[in-house]
Amino acid sequence: MTAQVVRTAHELSSRALDWLFAHHELGAFPSDPTADLPDADKVYKPLGEVALAASMVLREGVAGRTRLAVARELLEFAWRQMYEGNLLYERQLRHSLITDPLETYAHFSRSGYRHEALDELLTHNAAVNTTTEMVPNRRMAVANARRVVGVGPDADWSALLRATWLGGTPPPWAIDWMTAYHATHTVFHHTDWGARPELLPADVAEYLATWLPVWIEVWAEVRQWDLVGELLIVGLCLPEPHCDPREWERLATEQHADGLVPRDGDPVPEDRARRFDDNQHTAVVAVIAGTLAVSRLLDRA
Amino acid sequence: MQSDGSLVRTSLADAATALARHVLDALDGVGEVGLADCVDSRSDATAVLGAARLIGADLFAPQVLLGRALDPRDAESVIDSFAVFPPVIEPVTPEQRVRAWRDWATARLLARLVGTAEPAVPVDNTPLDAHDDWPRWSVRAAQLSSLALPGVGGPVVEAVRCGRQALARGVTRALLRRDHVTAARLARWAALLAGTGVEVPLDLALLLEHIRLHGGAGPRMLLDLAIARHVLGPRAA
Repeated sequence: MTAQVVRTAHELSSRALDWLFAHHELGAFPSDPTADLPDADKVYKPLGEVALAASMVLREGVAGRTRLAVARELLEFAWRQMYEGNLLYERQLRHSLITDPLETYAHFSRSGYRHEALDELLTHNAAVNTTTEMVPNRRMAVANARRVVGVGPDADWSALLRATWLGGTPPPWAIDWMTAYHATHTVFHHTDWGARPELLPADVAEYLATWLPVWIEVWAEVRQWDLVGELLIVGLCLPEPHCDPREWERLATEQHADGLVPRDGDPVPEDRARRFDDNQHTAVVAVIAGTLAVSRLLDRA
Repeated sequence: MQSDGSLVRTSLADAATALARHVLDALDGVGEVGLADCVDSRSDATAVLGAARLIGADLFAPQVLLGRALDPRDAESVIDSFAVFPPVIEPVTPEQRVRAWRDWATARLLARLVGTAEPAVPVDNTPLDAHDDWPRWSVRAAQLSSLALPGVGGPVVEAVRCGRQALARGVTRALLRRDHVTAARLARWAALLAGTGVEVPLDLALLLEHIRLHGGAGPRMLLDLAIARHVLGPRAA
Protein backbone atom coordinates (compact mmCIF):
# COMPACT_ATOMS: atom_id res chain seq x y z
CA MET A 1 0.00 0.00 0.00
CA THR A 2 2.83 2.37 0.90
CA ALA A 3 4.69 1.48 -2.28
CA GLN A 4 1.57 2.26 -4.28
CA VAL A 5 1.29 5.73 -2.72
CA VAL A 6 5.00 6.38 -3.28
CA ARG A 7 4.65 5.51 -6.97
CA THR A 8 1.56 7.65 -7.41
CA ALA A 9 2.98 10.57 -5.43
CA HIS A 10 6.28 10.47 -7.29
CA GLU A 11 4.54 10.50 -10.65
CA LEU A 12 2.18 13.29 -9.60
CA SER A 13 4.89 15.58 -8.26
CA SER A 14 7.41 14.91 -11.02
CA ARG A 15 4.92 15.75 -13.74
CA ALA A 16 3.65 18.79 -11.85
CA LEU A 17 7.22 20.03 -11.40
CA ASP A 18 7.92 19.55 -15.11
CA TRP A 19 4.73 21.45 -15.92
CA LEU A 20 5.76 24.32 -13.65
CA PHE A 21 9.15 24.44 -15.31
CA ALA A 22 7.71 24.28 -18.82
CA HIS A 23 5.55 27.30 -18.06
CA HIS A 24 7.69 29.21 -15.59
CA GLU A 25 8.41 32.13 -17.92
CA LEU A 26 4.69 32.91 -17.78
CA GLY A 27 5.17 33.61 -14.10
CA ALA A 28 7.67 36.40 -14.61
CA PHE A 29 6.96 40.03 -13.78
CA PRO A 30 5.69 41.71 -16.96
CA SER A 31 7.81 44.79 -16.27
CA ASP A 32 10.27 45.95 -13.65
CA PRO A 33 8.43 45.64 -10.34
CA THR A 34 8.59 48.30 -7.70
CA ALA A 35 8.74 47.56 -4.00
CA ASP A 36 5.14 48.64 -3.55
CA LEU A 37 3.82 45.77 -5.70
CA PRO A 38 0.26 47.07 -5.99
CA ASP A 39 -0.90 43.68 -7.30
CA ALA A 40 1.21 41.43 -5.09
CA ASP A 41 -1.01 38.39 -5.51
CA LYS A 42 -0.62 38.38 -9.28
CA VAL A 43 3.06 37.52 -9.81
CA TYR A 44 5.00 38.12 -6.61
CA LYS A 45 3.08 35.71 -4.40
CA PRO A 46 3.03 32.87 -6.97
CA LEU A 47 6.77 33.30 -7.48
CA GLY A 48 7.24 32.79 -3.77
CA GLU A 49 5.10 29.68 -3.93
CA VAL A 50 7.16 28.26 -6.77
CA ALA A 51 10.24 28.94 -4.67
CA LEU A 52 8.61 27.10 -1.79
CA ALA A 53 7.88 24.05 -3.95
CA ALA A 54 11.38 24.03 -5.35
CA SER A 55 12.88 24.41 -1.87
CA MET A 56 10.89 21.38 -0.74
CA VAL A 57 12.24 19.31 -3.63
CA LEU A 58 15.79 20.31 -2.70
CA ARG A 59 15.30 19.93 1.05
CA GLU A 60 13.88 16.44 0.82
CA GLY A 61 16.31 15.34 -1.88
CA VAL A 62 14.23 12.38 -3.01
CA ALA A 63 13.80 13.47 -6.63
CA GLY A 64 16.08 12.22 -9.36
CA ARG A 65 19.02 14.26 -10.61
CA THR A 66 16.99 15.80 -13.42
CA ARG A 67 14.19 17.00 -11.17
CA LEU A 68 16.66 18.34 -8.62
CA ALA A 69 18.22 20.38 -11.42
CA VAL A 70 14.79 21.59 -12.46
CA ALA A 71 14.07 22.68 -8.89
CA ARG A 72 17.35 24.59 -8.77
CA GLU A 73 16.51 26.26 -12.07
CA LEU A 74 13.13 27.34 -10.77
CA LEU A 75 14.65 28.77 -7.61
CA GLU A 76 17.25 30.61 -9.67
CA PHE A 77 14.52 32.01 -11.88
CA ALA A 78 12.42 33.17 -8.93
CA TRP A 79 15.46 34.64 -7.17
CA ARG A 80 16.35 36.59 -10.32
CA GLN A 81 12.77 37.85 -10.44
CA MET A 82 13.30 39.08 -6.88
CA TYR A 83 16.44 40.87 -8.05
CA GLU A 84 18.54 38.53 -5.96
CA GLY A 85 16.60 39.59 -2.89
CA ASN A 86 16.78 43.34 -3.51
CA LEU A 87 13.07 43.50 -4.23
CA LEU A 88 12.32 41.80 -0.92
CA TYR A 89 14.74 44.08 0.88
CA GLU A 90 13.31 47.26 -0.64
CA ARG A 91 9.77 46.15 0.09
CA GLN A 92 10.57 45.25 3.69
CA LEU A 93 12.48 48.49 4.16
CA ARG A 94 9.59 50.55 2.87
CA HIS A 95 6.89 48.65 4.75
CA SER A 96 8.27 47.59 8.12
CA LEU A 97 5.17 45.81 9.36
CA ILE A 98 4.34 43.63 6.39
CA THR A 99 5.57 40.06 6.52
CA ASP A 100 5.53 38.80 2.94
CA PRO A 101 9.18 39.73 2.27
CA LEU A 102 10.22 37.66 5.27
CA GLU A 103 7.94 34.77 4.34
CA THR A 104 9.09 34.79 0.73
CA TYR A 105 12.73 35.07 1.69
CA ALA A 106 12.36 32.00 3.92
CA HIS A 107 11.79 29.80 0.87
CA PHE A 108 15.03 31.00 -0.66
CA SER A 109 17.08 30.98 2.51
CA ARG A 110 16.00 27.39 3.11
CA SER A 111 17.94 26.58 -0.05
CA GLY A 112 20.96 28.67 0.77
CA TYR A 113 20.14 32.02 -0.80
CA ARG A 114 21.03 34.98 1.43
CA HIS A 115 20.76 38.75 1.22
CA GLU A 116 22.90 40.39 3.86
CA ALA A 117 21.05 43.68 4.17
CA LEU A 118 17.73 41.89 4.33
CA ASP A 119 19.08 39.61 7.03
CA GLU A 120 20.02 42.64 9.11
CA LEU A 121 16.67 44.27 8.55
CA LEU A 122 14.74 41.12 9.43
CA THR A 123 16.81 40.64 12.57
CA HIS A 124 15.93 44.17 13.61
CA ASN A 125 12.24 43.68 12.79
CA ALA A 126 12.19 40.48 14.81
CA ALA A 127 13.55 42.41 17.76
CA VAL A 128 10.88 45.08 17.34
CA ASN A 129 8.55 42.11 17.11
CA THR A 130 5.42 43.64 15.69
CA THR A 131 3.55 43.12 12.45
CA THR A 132 0.34 44.17 10.79
CA GLU A 133 -2.78 42.72 12.42
CA MET A 134 -3.22 39.12 11.34
CA VAL A 135 -5.24 35.99 12.03
CA PRO A 136 -3.61 33.36 14.25
CA ASN A 137 -2.37 30.97 11.59
CA ARG A 138 -0.70 33.85 9.79
CA ARG A 139 1.24 34.56 12.98
CA MET A 140 2.53 31.03 12.70
CA ALA A 141 3.63 31.72 9.13
CA VAL A 142 5.75 34.59 10.42
CA ALA A 143 7.13 32.53 13.29
CA ASN A 144 8.12 29.74 10.94
CA ALA A 145 9.69 32.13 8.46
CA ARG A 146 11.77 33.63 11.26
CA ARG A 147 12.73 30.14 12.39
CA VAL A 148 13.82 29.18 8.88
CA VAL A 149 15.66 32.41 8.20
CA GLY A 150 17.16 32.32 11.67
CA VAL A 151 16.13 35.68 13.07
CA GLY A 152 14.65 36.46 16.46
CA PRO A 153 14.00 34.14 19.37
CA ASP A 154 11.97 30.98 18.80
CA ALA A 155 8.25 31.50 19.20
CA ASP A 156 5.87 30.16 21.81
CA TRP A 157 4.55 27.58 19.39
CA SER A 158 2.04 26.12 21.79
CA ALA A 159 0.41 29.51 22.36
CA LEU A 160 0.41 30.24 18.64
CA LEU A 161 -1.16 26.90 17.82
CA ARG A 162 -3.84 27.08 20.50
CA ALA A 163 -4.97 30.45 19.19
CA THR A 164 -5.88 28.92 15.82
CA TRP A 165 -9.05 27.16 14.75
CA LEU A 166 -7.18 23.86 14.65
CA GLY A 167 -5.57 24.37 18.03
CA GLY A 168 -8.99 24.31 19.64
CA THR A 169 -9.78 20.91 18.05
CA PRO A 170 -13.39 21.98 17.39
CA PRO A 171 -16.12 19.65 16.17
CA PRO A 172 -14.86 18.44 12.79
CA TRP A 173 -18.08 19.43 11.08
CA ALA A 174 -17.62 23.05 12.17
CA ILE A 175 -15.37 23.79 9.22
CA ASP A 176 -15.75 25.50 5.88
CA TRP A 177 -13.61 25.81 2.78
CA MET A 178 -11.60 28.81 3.94
CA THR A 179 -11.19 27.47 7.46
CA ALA A 180 -9.90 24.23 5.99
CA TYR A 181 -7.18 26.19 4.21
CA HIS A 182 -6.36 27.95 7.48
CA ALA A 183 -6.09 24.61 9.24
CA THR A 184 -3.73 23.25 6.60
CA HIS A 185 -1.44 26.23 6.96
CA THR A 186 -1.46 25.97 10.72
CA VAL A 187 0.06 22.52 10.30
CA PHE A 188 2.45 23.58 7.54
CA HIS A 189 3.94 26.36 9.61
CA HIS A 190 3.98 24.49 12.90
CA THR A 191 5.92 21.59 11.38
CA ASP A 192 7.85 23.69 8.84
CA TRP A 193 6.18 21.87 6.00
CA GLY A 194 6.59 18.41 7.42
CA ALA A 195 10.21 18.82 8.49
CA ARG A 196 9.31 18.59 12.17
CA PRO A 197 6.16 16.48 12.53
CA GLU A 198 7.12 15.59 16.08
CA LEU A 199 6.31 19.16 17.14
CA LEU A 200 2.59 18.65 16.64
CA PRO A 201 0.95 18.02 20.03
CA ALA A 202 -0.48 14.54 20.36
CA ASP A 203 -4.09 15.69 20.65
CA VAL A 204 -3.87 17.76 17.47
CA ALA A 205 -2.14 14.94 15.60
CA GLU A 206 -4.82 12.50 16.70
CA TYR A 207 -7.55 14.95 15.77
CA LEU A 208 -6.11 15.35 12.29
CA ALA A 209 -5.55 11.63 11.82
CA THR A 210 -9.21 11.06 12.66
CA TRP A 211 -10.77 13.80 10.57
CA LEU A 212 -8.47 14.35 7.58
CA PRO A 213 -10.06 11.45 5.68
CA VAL A 214 -13.47 13.08 6.05
CA TRP A 215 -12.32 16.47 4.83
CA ILE A 216 -10.42 14.93 1.93
CA GLU A 217 -13.48 12.88 0.99
CA VAL A 218 -15.86 15.82 1.19
CA TRP A 219 -13.73 18.23 -0.80
CA ALA A 220 -12.76 15.59 -3.33
CA GLU A 221 -16.44 14.95 -3.92
CA VAL A 222 -16.91 18.59 -4.94
CA ARG A 223 -13.64 18.49 -6.88
CA GLN A 224 -11.73 21.05 -4.87
CA TRP A 225 -8.43 19.54 -5.93
CA ASP A 226 -6.24 22.36 -4.67
CA LEU A 227 -7.62 21.95 -1.15
CA VAL A 228 -7.47 18.17 -1.42
CA GLY A 229 -3.77 18.46 -2.25
CA GLU A 230 -3.19 20.70 0.73
CA LEU A 231 -4.99 18.25 2.99
CA LEU A 232 -2.81 15.46 1.65
CA ILE A 233 0.22 17.54 2.65
CA VAL A 234 -1.23 17.85 6.15
CA GLY A 235 -1.41 14.08 6.33
CA LEU A 236 2.30 13.95 5.59
CA CYS A 237 3.08 16.44 8.35
CA LEU A 238 1.69 14.10 11.02
CA PRO A 239 4.03 12.13 13.29
CA GLU A 240 2.45 9.00 11.79
CA PRO A 241 1.91 9.99 8.15
CA HIS A 242 -1.58 9.55 6.82
CA CYS A 243 -1.61 8.04 3.37
CA ASP A 244 -4.57 6.35 1.76
CA PRO A 245 -3.87 5.10 -1.78
CA ARG A 246 -7.45 5.85 -2.80
CA GLU A 247 -7.04 9.53 -1.92
CA TRP A 248 -3.84 9.79 -3.94
CA GLU A 249 -5.31 7.98 -6.91
CA ARG A 250 -8.28 10.30 -6.85
CA LEU A 251 -6.05 13.35 -7.20
CA ALA A 252 -3.62 11.71 -9.61
CA THR A 253 -6.36 10.74 -12.06
CA GLU A 254 -7.23 14.42 -12.36
CA GLN A 255 -3.75 15.31 -13.59
CA HIS A 256 -3.70 16.22 -17.28
CA ALA A 257 -1.41 14.61 -19.81
CA ASP A 258 0.91 17.62 -19.76
CA GLY A 259 1.23 17.55 -15.96
CA LEU A 260 -1.32 20.23 -15.09
CA VAL A 261 -3.23 19.53 -11.91
CA PRO A 262 -6.59 21.32 -12.01
CA ARG A 263 -7.43 23.48 -9.03
CA ASP A 264 -11.10 22.43 -9.13
CA GLY A 265 -13.79 20.85 -11.27
CA ASP A 266 -14.32 23.84 -13.52
CA PRO A 267 -13.32 23.53 -17.18
CA VAL A 268 -9.64 24.29 -17.72
CA PRO A 269 -9.20 27.17 -20.15
CA GLU A 270 -7.35 26.51 -23.40
CA ASP A 271 -5.40 29.76 -23.34
CA ARG A 272 -1.90 28.87 -22.17
CA ALA A 273 -1.44 31.89 -19.91
CA ARG A 274 -4.83 31.46 -18.26
CA ARG A 275 -4.26 27.75 -17.77
CA PHE A 276 -1.06 28.63 -15.98
CA ASP A 277 -2.54 31.43 -13.88
CA ASP A 278 -5.50 29.33 -12.79
CA ASN A 279 -3.62 26.18 -11.95
CA GLN A 280 -0.11 27.21 -10.97
CA HIS A 281 -0.90 27.07 -7.26
CA THR A 282 -2.25 23.55 -7.51
CA ALA A 283 0.92 22.45 -9.31
CA VAL A 284 2.90 23.85 -6.39
CA VAL A 285 0.67 21.94 -3.98
CA ALA A 286 1.09 18.73 -5.99
CA VAL A 287 4.88 19.08 -6.02
CA ILE A 288 5.02 19.58 -2.27
CA ALA A 289 2.53 16.81 -1.54
CA GLY A 290 4.22 14.29 -3.78
CA THR A 291 7.70 15.20 -2.59
CA LEU A 292 6.78 14.89 1.08
CA ALA A 293 4.94 11.64 0.44
CA VAL A 294 7.93 10.03 -1.21
CA SER A 295 10.30 11.37 1.44
CA ARG A 296 8.29 10.43 4.51
CA LEU A 297 7.05 7.12 3.25
CA LEU A 298 10.48 6.03 2.06
CA ASP A 299 11.83 6.94 5.48
CA ARG A 300 9.44 4.44 6.97
CA ALA A 301 9.79 1.73 4.36
CA MET B 1 -59.92 16.28 0.35
CA GLN B 2 -60.21 16.45 -3.39
CA SER B 3 -62.89 18.58 -5.06
CA ASP B 4 -65.17 15.57 -5.40
CA GLY B 5 -64.84 14.91 -1.68
CA SER B 6 -63.03 11.61 -1.91
CA LEU B 7 -60.02 11.00 0.26
CA VAL B 8 -56.71 11.58 -1.38
CA ARG B 9 -54.90 8.31 -1.82
CA THR B 10 -52.21 8.41 0.80
CA SER B 11 -48.77 7.79 -0.54
CA LEU B 12 -46.44 5.49 1.28
CA ALA B 13 -44.02 8.31 2.06
CA ASP B 14 -46.78 10.54 3.36
CA ALA B 15 -48.12 7.73 5.49
CA ALA B 16 -44.64 7.08 6.89
CA THR B 17 -44.24 10.74 7.68
CA ALA B 18 -47.59 10.80 9.48
CA LEU B 19 -46.75 7.67 11.39
CA ALA B 20 -43.36 9.05 12.40
CA ARG B 21 -45.16 12.10 13.76
CA HIS B 22 -47.38 9.81 15.86
CA VAL B 23 -44.34 8.01 17.29
CA LEU B 24 -42.66 11.33 17.93
CA ASP B 25 -45.70 12.62 19.78
CA ALA B 26 -45.87 9.44 21.81
CA LEU B 27 -42.22 9.87 22.79
CA ASP B 28 -43.04 13.43 23.81
CA GLY B 29 -45.87 12.11 25.99
CA VAL B 30 -48.60 13.34 23.67
CA GLY B 31 -50.91 10.42 22.87
CA GLU B 32 -50.09 6.96 21.58
CA VAL B 33 -48.69 5.65 18.32
CA GLY B 34 -52.17 4.46 17.32
CA LEU B 35 -51.09 2.37 14.34
CA ALA B 36 -54.32 0.39 14.29
CA ASP B 37 -56.36 3.60 14.34
CA CYS B 38 -54.33 4.89 11.40
CA VAL B 39 -55.01 1.71 9.47
CA ASP B 40 -58.71 1.92 10.24
CA SER B 41 -59.07 5.60 9.43
CA ARG B 42 -57.30 5.66 6.06
CA SER B 43 -58.83 4.76 2.76
CA ASP B 44 -55.58 3.09 1.77
CA ALA B 45 -54.82 0.75 4.65
CA THR B 46 -52.13 -0.98 2.60
CA ALA B 47 -50.12 2.23 2.42
CA VAL B 48 -50.27 2.55 6.21
CA LEU B 49 -49.14 -1.05 6.63
CA GLY B 50 -46.28 -0.33 4.24
CA ALA B 51 -45.46 2.79 6.21
CA ALA B 52 -45.34 0.72 9.36
CA ARG B 53 -42.59 -1.30 7.78
CA LEU B 54 -40.71 1.83 6.77
CA ILE B 55 -40.82 3.10 10.32
CA GLY B 56 -39.94 -0.41 11.42
CA ALA B 57 -38.70 -1.02 14.94
CA ASP B 58 -39.15 2.65 15.77
CA LEU B 59 -42.85 1.93 16.12
CA PHE B 60 -41.91 0.38 19.44
CA ALA B 61 -39.74 3.26 20.63
CA PRO B 62 -42.33 4.34 23.27
CA GLN B 63 -42.31 0.81 24.68
CA VAL B 64 -38.54 0.40 24.57
CA LEU B 65 -37.58 3.88 25.76
CA LEU B 66 -40.47 4.85 28.03
CA GLY B 67 -41.82 1.51 29.12
CA ARG B 68 -45.24 2.12 27.63
CA ALA B 69 -47.55 -0.83 27.09
CA LEU B 70 -48.04 -1.98 23.53
CA ASP B 71 -51.63 -1.71 22.29
CA PRO B 72 -52.56 -5.25 21.17
CA ARG B 73 -54.36 -3.76 18.17
CA ASP B 74 -51.13 -2.06 17.09
CA ALA B 75 -49.32 -5.37 17.45
CA GLU B 76 -51.93 -6.98 15.23
CA SER B 77 -51.42 -4.26 12.64
CA VAL B 78 -47.69 -4.95 12.54
CA ILE B 79 -48.42 -8.64 12.09
CA ASP B 80 -50.82 -7.71 9.31
CA SER B 81 -48.07 -5.70 7.65
CA PHE B 82 -45.85 -8.77 7.56
CA ALA B 83 -48.69 -10.67 5.92
CA VAL B 84 -49.18 -8.00 3.27
CA PHE B 85 -45.44 -7.38 2.79
CA PRO B 86 -43.60 -10.61 3.62
CA PRO B 87 -40.22 -10.06 5.23
CA VAL B 88 -37.01 -10.77 3.35
CA ILE B 89 -35.34 -13.78 4.92
CA GLU B 90 -32.64 -14.61 2.40
CA PRO B 91 -31.51 -11.32 0.96
CA VAL B 92 -29.41 -11.09 -2.18
CA THR B 93 -29.12 -7.45 -3.20
CA PRO B 94 -27.83 -4.70 -0.89
CA GLU B 95 -31.32 -3.25 -0.72
CA GLN B 96 -32.75 -6.60 0.27
CA ARG B 97 -30.12 -6.96 2.96
CA VAL B 98 -31.13 -3.64 4.48
CA ARG B 99 -34.79 -4.59 4.34
CA ALA B 100 -34.10 -7.99 5.84
CA TRP B 101 -32.35 -6.55 8.87
CA ARG B 102 -34.93 -3.83 9.37
CA ASP B 103 -37.71 -6.40 9.18
CA TRP B 104 -35.85 -8.65 11.58
CA ALA B 105 -35.47 -5.84 14.12
CA THR B 106 -39.18 -5.03 13.88
CA ALA B 107 -40.14 -8.66 14.25
CA ARG B 108 -37.70 -9.18 17.10
CA LEU B 109 -39.02 -6.30 19.19
CA LEU B 110 -42.59 -7.30 18.44
CA ALA B 111 -41.88 -10.86 19.56
CA ARG B 112 -40.33 -9.65 22.79
CA LEU B 113 -43.17 -7.27 23.52
CA VAL B 114 -45.95 -9.79 22.87
CA GLY B 115 -44.06 -12.83 24.11
CA THR B 116 -43.87 -14.91 20.97
CA ALA B 117 -40.98 -16.77 19.38
CA GLU B 118 -38.13 -14.67 18.05
CA PRO B 119 -37.74 -14.44 14.28
CA ALA B 120 -34.97 -16.18 12.40
CA VAL B 121 -31.83 -14.11 11.88
CA PRO B 122 -31.43 -13.10 8.22
CA VAL B 123 -29.03 -15.15 6.18
CA ASP B 124 -26.40 -12.43 5.84
CA ASN B 125 -22.93 -12.97 7.23
CA THR B 126 -21.78 -9.41 6.62
CA PRO B 127 -24.52 -6.96 7.58
CA LEU B 128 -22.00 -4.15 7.19
CA ASP B 129 -19.00 -4.02 4.89
CA ALA B 130 -15.47 -3.52 6.17
CA HIS B 131 -15.28 -0.21 7.96
CA ASP B 132 -12.05 0.90 6.29
CA ASP B 133 -14.33 1.99 3.43
CA TRP B 134 -16.03 4.26 5.92
CA PRO B 135 -18.12 6.36 3.46
CA ARG B 136 -19.88 3.29 2.11
CA TRP B 137 -20.02 1.73 5.56
CA SER B 138 -21.66 4.78 7.07
CA VAL B 139 -24.29 5.02 4.34
CA ARG B 140 -25.27 1.42 5.04
CA ALA B 141 -25.24 2.05 8.80
CA ALA B 142 -27.59 4.98 8.27
CA GLN B 143 -29.95 2.79 6.27
CA LEU B 144 -29.99 0.40 9.22
CA SER B 145 -30.54 3.09 11.84
CA SER B 146 -33.86 1.69 13.00
CA LEU B 147 -31.79 -1.08 14.57
CA ALA B 148 -30.14 1.56 16.76
CA LEU B 149 -32.66 1.03 19.48
CA PRO B 150 -32.07 -0.59 22.87
CA GLY B 151 -33.22 -4.16 22.90
CA VAL B 152 -32.67 -4.90 19.24
CA GLY B 153 -29.10 -6.13 19.53
CA GLY B 154 -27.76 -8.75 17.17
CA PRO B 155 -25.08 -8.82 14.46
CA VAL B 156 -25.74 -5.35 13.05
CA VAL B 157 -25.32 -3.70 16.43
CA GLU B 158 -22.15 -5.69 17.00
CA ALA B 159 -20.83 -4.65 13.60
CA VAL B 160 -21.51 -0.99 14.32
CA ARG B 161 -19.80 -1.30 17.71
CA CYS B 162 -16.64 -2.25 15.84
CA GLY B 163 -16.87 0.81 13.61
CA ARG B 164 -16.93 3.74 15.99
CA GLN B 165 -14.45 5.77 13.95
CA ALA B 166 -16.22 5.00 10.68
CA LEU B 167 -19.44 6.06 12.34
CA ALA B 168 -18.00 9.36 13.57
CA ARG B 169 -16.52 10.06 10.17
CA GLY B 170 -19.80 9.23 8.50
CA VAL B 171 -21.72 11.66 10.72
CA THR B 172 -19.20 14.37 9.98
CA ARG B 173 -19.30 13.72 6.26
CA ALA B 174 -23.09 13.83 6.30
CA LEU B 175 -23.11 17.15 8.13
CA LEU B 176 -20.59 18.71 5.78
CA ARG B 177 -22.76 17.54 2.87
CA ARG B 178 -25.79 19.11 4.58
CA ASP B 179 -27.35 15.66 4.62
CA HIS B 180 -29.02 16.06 7.99
CA VAL B 181 -31.25 13.04 7.52
CA THR B 182 -28.26 10.74 7.28
CA ALA B 183 -26.48 12.62 10.06
CA ALA B 184 -29.45 12.10 12.39
CA ARG B 185 -29.60 8.41 11.57
CA LEU B 186 -25.92 7.97 12.31
CA ALA B 187 -26.20 10.09 15.44
CA ARG B 188 -28.65 7.48 16.72
CA TRP B 189 -25.98 4.84 16.40
CA ALA B 190 -23.48 7.08 18.14
CA ALA B 191 -25.93 7.58 21.01
CA LEU B 192 -26.59 3.87 21.26
CA LEU B 193 -22.88 3.08 21.37
CA ALA B 194 -22.27 5.76 23.98
CA GLY B 195 -24.91 4.09 26.12
CA THR B 196 -22.90 0.88 26.05
CA GLY B 197 -19.59 2.50 26.85
CA VAL B 198 -18.32 2.76 23.27
CA GLU B 199 -17.49 6.42 22.82
CA VAL B 200 -17.35 8.02 19.41
CA PRO B 201 -14.96 10.99 19.21
CA LEU B 202 -17.70 13.60 18.96
CA ASP B 203 -19.61 15.75 21.41
CA LEU B 204 -22.99 14.10 20.94
CA ALA B 205 -25.02 16.76 22.71
CA LEU B 206 -23.58 19.43 20.41
CA LEU B 207 -24.07 17.16 17.44
CA LEU B 208 -27.75 16.49 18.15
CA GLU B 209 -28.46 20.16 18.76
CA HIS B 210 -26.68 21.15 15.56
CA ILE B 211 -28.76 18.71 13.54
CA ARG B 212 -31.94 19.89 15.25
CA LEU B 213 -31.23 23.51 14.44
CA HIS B 214 -30.17 22.91 10.86
CA GLY B 215 -32.06 19.85 9.77
CA GLY B 216 -35.56 21.18 9.20
CA ALA B 217 -38.84 19.81 10.46
CA GLY B 218 -39.13 16.40 8.82
CA PRO B 219 -40.83 14.10 11.35
CA ARG B 220 -38.72 11.09 10.45
CA MET B 221 -35.49 13.02 11.07
CA LEU B 222 -36.93 14.50 14.26
CA LEU B 223 -37.86 11.00 15.36
CA ASP B 224 -34.27 9.87 14.87
CA LEU B 225 -33.10 12.81 16.97
CA ALA B 226 -35.68 12.19 19.66
CA ILE B 227 -34.68 8.55 19.93
CA ALA B 228 -31.01 9.53 20.07
CA ARG B 229 -31.73 11.98 22.87
CA HIS B 230 -33.72 9.42 24.85
CA VAL B 231 -30.98 6.83 24.42
CA LEU B 232 -28.30 9.31 25.43
CA GLY B 233 -30.27 10.44 28.46
CA PRO B 234 -28.92 13.33 30.57
CA ARG B 235 -25.79 13.53 28.39
CA ALA B 236 -27.97 14.86 25.55
CA ALA B 237 -28.63 18.06 27.48
